[in-house]
Amino acid sequence: MFRFLLTRLAAAAVAALLSSLAVFLLMRAVPGDIVSQMLGQSGNDRTAEEALRGFFGLDRPIWAQFGDWLGATLSGDLGRSWYQGRAVTMLVWDAFLVTAEIAVATLVIATLVGVPLGVLAGIREGTRTDAAIQAFNLLGLSAPVFWIGLMLLVGASAWLEWSPPFAYMPPGLDLAENLNIMILPVLSLSLLQAAAYSHFVRDTMVAELRKEYVRAAIAKGLTPRQIYFKHALRNILIPLVTFVGLILIQILGGAVVIESLFSLPGLGRLILSGIQGRDYPVVQGALLFVVLVALSVNLVIDLLYGLIDPRLRP
Amino acid sequence: MKRVAGLLREIFATPLQILCAVLLALFAVLVLVPGLIAPQSPYAIDVARALQPPSARHWFGTDDVGRDLFSRVIHGTRITLGLVAGALLASAVVGGLLGLLAGYFGRAADLVFGRLVDMILTFPPVIAGVVITGVLGPGARNLILALAVVYIPMFFRIARSGALAERQRTYVEAARALGFGETSIMLRQVLPNVLPLILLQYVILFPLALQIEAALGFLGLGVAPPSPDWGAILEQGKNFILTAWWMSLWPGLFLLASAFAVMVLGRTLQQRFDRR
Repeated sequence: MFRFLLTRLAAAAVAALLSSLAVFLLMRAVPGDIVSQMLGQSGNDRTAEEALRGFFGLDRPIWAQFGDWLGATLSGDLGRSWYQGRAVTMLVWDAFLVTAEIAVATLVIATLVGVPLGVLAGIREGTRTDAAIQAFNLLGLSAPVFWIGLMLLVGASAWLEWSPPFAYMPPGLDLAENLNIMILPVLSLSLLQAAAYSHFVRDTMVAELRKEYVRAAIAKGLTPRQIYFKHALRNILIPLVTFVGLILIQILGGAVVIESLFSLPGLGRLILSGIQGRDYPVVQGALLFVVLVALSVNLVIDLLYGLIDPRLRP
Repeated sequence: MKRVAGLLREIFATPLQILCAVLLALFAVLVLVPGLIAPQSPYAIDVARALQPPSARHWFGTDDVGRDLFSRVIHGTRITLGLVAGALLASAVVGGLLGLLAGYFGRAADLVFGRLVDMILTFPPVIAGVVITGVLGPGARNLILALAVVYIPMFFRIARSGALAERQRTYVEAARALGFGETSIMLRQVLPNVLPLILLQYVILFPLALQIEAALGFLGLGVAPPSPDWGAILEQGKNFILTAWWMSLWPGLFLLASAFAVMVLGRTLQQRFDRR
């Protein structure tokens, strides 16, 4: 177990290091950095340019720059934003709280809607209920998330004569206002993820109910309820847990687009504005954080396997 | 001929599959001859008729500079679907070949390519797309590059596991005994057997790549604005969402319909594949 954890952690560290290096090189490989953005296109003032490059450390060799960043990062310091002067760790944490609220709310709603729908469709395979749920799933999976958000905006304004507030409000300050802002983004993401969930649960359930042990259980005279919920559902728990991880990572990606639509100050917006302003420390720090979250989600899921099914304990 | 007819009957059996076939045929027409269906040029500006709601003259309404949205969405089909198709093709070729090499030869190739693919996979797909297009700048070339990079890992894994399985088969041993070179065996014997897996993956990934293409366009990181790319139209419509909903409705519906059709096709092919 300990050995397994150690190898997984090492692999995760290598992946995080490589992806940080890739982002680092990608950003420096293209023309245009923060200095050229600050001085504009005129670019005649060579001394100011060189002074600024020196100030940001951009005049040093790339390997030295990466080494400095890596060293500071390993000691827990992600540097400061070149534009706002605030510590990147603080910026990332604030943005993460916004994205995390969206992600958790979406995950809860998507699970509560998607899993029962999927189980129902799986149990009623081949009936009209199944067809209707499958149609919902396929439509939900095909619709672009941000487009659902746009349509919800239109619908809310046309029929409810309501539109969400423009400025973000943290839940700690005014929960009602916060929910007003969060409801549409969460609903748009939930629709997609509920469809994804239901689609997956349905197919897994159908495959499970075709297995021999289900036939044996029927022959033994177990009630359908016992077969579905005590046997089949318990056996599809493992693929289900894997899927939760996949969905969480997907929500993280989907949040980028939805945050931009609803002007929420989450991780996606932080990354986007950082890239546009060539604010290297912010981009590096925020992306490293996203990668670490994704890697830990995967690790936790692997550990959960062992809890659910002792046979899979490493 | 008979086999083709049988295959078609099998693929398009249920009402859902028939709907999918009709949609696919429709989109094929829009991609091949958009000019025959669109009444106007997608670029013709007519400021006097800006932001008009759908009417008999402009079925889908007009945008903020008076361009006919119906014509724009129709012409956008080839651009949007073409970009996704091209990007995925590049992804399939690169990812497929690397996966074939990694699976068939193993060792160093497997280790190096495997780590590279793991690195791409550490980013959620949308975020990887945002980073690549955001840093390199908007435009069709960078968009294709971003989509291709994001999906290389998926093709790599499929081709690798396929090649790993095929490598053990007797026909490979036989080809070796007959004196064929390893590269020749990989390309001429193993590849044809892995190809169906890659093609199936292509169809399955298409709707997902389409979503990301649209999302990047919507974020202003896709194809430049005057182009009638669906994502670009949506980005433009975002600012008029409460006054001119039609600018956002139609390109989204076309995205939905095309993703839906390909998804149903992918599901059907997958089921057929699993049965074999």
